[in-house]
Amino acid sequence: MMGFWESFLSALLQGWVITLGMLVLAIPISVILGLLLGMARVYGNRPVSLLAAGFVGLFRGLPLVVTLLIIFFALPKIGLYFSPFWAAVTGFIFCSGAYQSEYVRGAIRSIDVGQSLAARSLGMSRFKEVIHIILPQAFRRAFPGISNEIVYLILYSSLAYVVGVSEIFGISKHFNSLYFKSIEIFSTAAVIYLIMATVASLGFRKLENKLRIPGLEITC
Amino acid sequence: MSEKDVVLKAENIHKSYSGNNVLNGISFEVKRGETKIICGPSGSGKSTVLRCLNLLTRPDEGHVWLEGTEVTSASTDINKIRQKIGFVFQEFNLFNHFNALRNVSIGLEKVKGVKKDEAKKIALEQLARVGLQEHAHKYPAELSGGQKQRVAIARARAINPVIIFYDEPTSALDPQLIGEVLEVMKGLAKERVTSLVVTHEMGFAQSVGDEMLFMVDGRIVERGPPQELIMRCKYDVTKKFFESIQELYGREK
Repeated sequence: MMGFWESFLSALLQGWVITLGMLVLAIPISVILGLLLGMARVYGNRPVSLLAAGFVGLFRGLPLVVTLLIIFFALPKIGLYFSPFWAAVTGFIFCSGAYQSEYVRGAIRSIDVGQSLAARSLGMSRFKEVIHIILPQAFRRAFPGISNEIVYLILYSSLAYVVGVSEIFGISKHFNSLYFKSIEIFSTAAVIYLIMATVASLGFRKLENKLRIPGLEITC
Repeated sequence: MSEKDVVLKAENIHKSYSGNNVLNGISFEVKRGETKIICGPSGSGKSTVLRCLNLLTRPDEGHVWLEGTEVTSASTDINKIRQKIGFVFQEFNLFNHFNALRNVSIGLEKVKGVKKDEAKKIALEQLARVGLQEHAHKYPAELSGGQKQRVAIARARAINPVIIFYDEPTSALDPQLIGEVLEVMKGLAKERVTSLVVTHEMGFAQSVGDEMLFMVDGRIVERGPPQELIMRCKYDVTKKFFESIQELYGREK
């Protein structure tokens, strides 16, 4: 028979792959969603901006765990079925995208109106102005906020266990109910989360330095 | 003077902001090669005139023509018109995320569709003309105010406009940096680059200005050759304005 550590660590490795799978999908899509929602709120016409504001208000107003339970247990009642994995990924994208859009919106608003005037006076369309002039600056301003939100997302991916995803935390809970070795089990899980969050933070710090432009530094 | 020589024509421009009349019927023409000066006390609507001419602000009433095309017509593609008008702002408004070179080449590349290498070449030439080729790779935050404004002039020139608007181009500069910007502007005026200049620099106005418009409360109250207008203005407000400026800057020769 396999020993506790052997079976726990091999299950944990599988859980870790699932956690990474959720994150690899949820992080980029939520960043894109955040950018789109943030832009919609600043540049959209009234219905578009209201719709975006409603979306953000809803998903910032619900605890993530409630969002996940609704997606997984309530939506099937109206014919929308999600596997545990996709229910979690969808919930992460909506929640994180809503939060990120606030950083994007604030960053766009913080860009001096002179940038826009200069772009338009060169004959740029509104679209070109936003793509070439406003967004590259706004993204740099929003970056610390966005990266912070991504670190949160890495940690709250552990909530996927509530809809039955066998990710790191789900595996840990399962093993704890079998072996009752809570100290060993949860501190191992904690170390894995700590390592992921630290690696991500360091990576973002590096990327932020790479994106840095004199005069566009963010004090944070 | 034939119709062809009129680059820009404004007719009866009105603009109000929430019930406040800022412009009350502004009409004038700028001829090819001319340097036209607009001056007047703060709040008289000078900057608003410039912005109404390229529709950065839409006038409530009146018409603007650029080389015979009606700018204010609903069927005119305003982005096409703006490509023919260089705009130099008081606050420079260089794109903060681009270096000097890219600031100058971006319009060529993204608006006029010039190939990247070609745009770069033209941008370098324009930077050389304002004496900044060695600073091409610096970002706006690494340039002095005077250098920024010279980059802004190069940027405005690069798209090969038929007229350049200057909106108080030296008002945000430290006194010792004003000279370098005025030198560049004078050089362009002497090359007969058509320009419309909102400024309080009377020395500049007198040395290269062909005509000066004096604005008060959204109206052009006096106009004439700068030298003459400054010496022999008809109205008290004009006289007071020039006196206070001369007091501030010292008597100009």
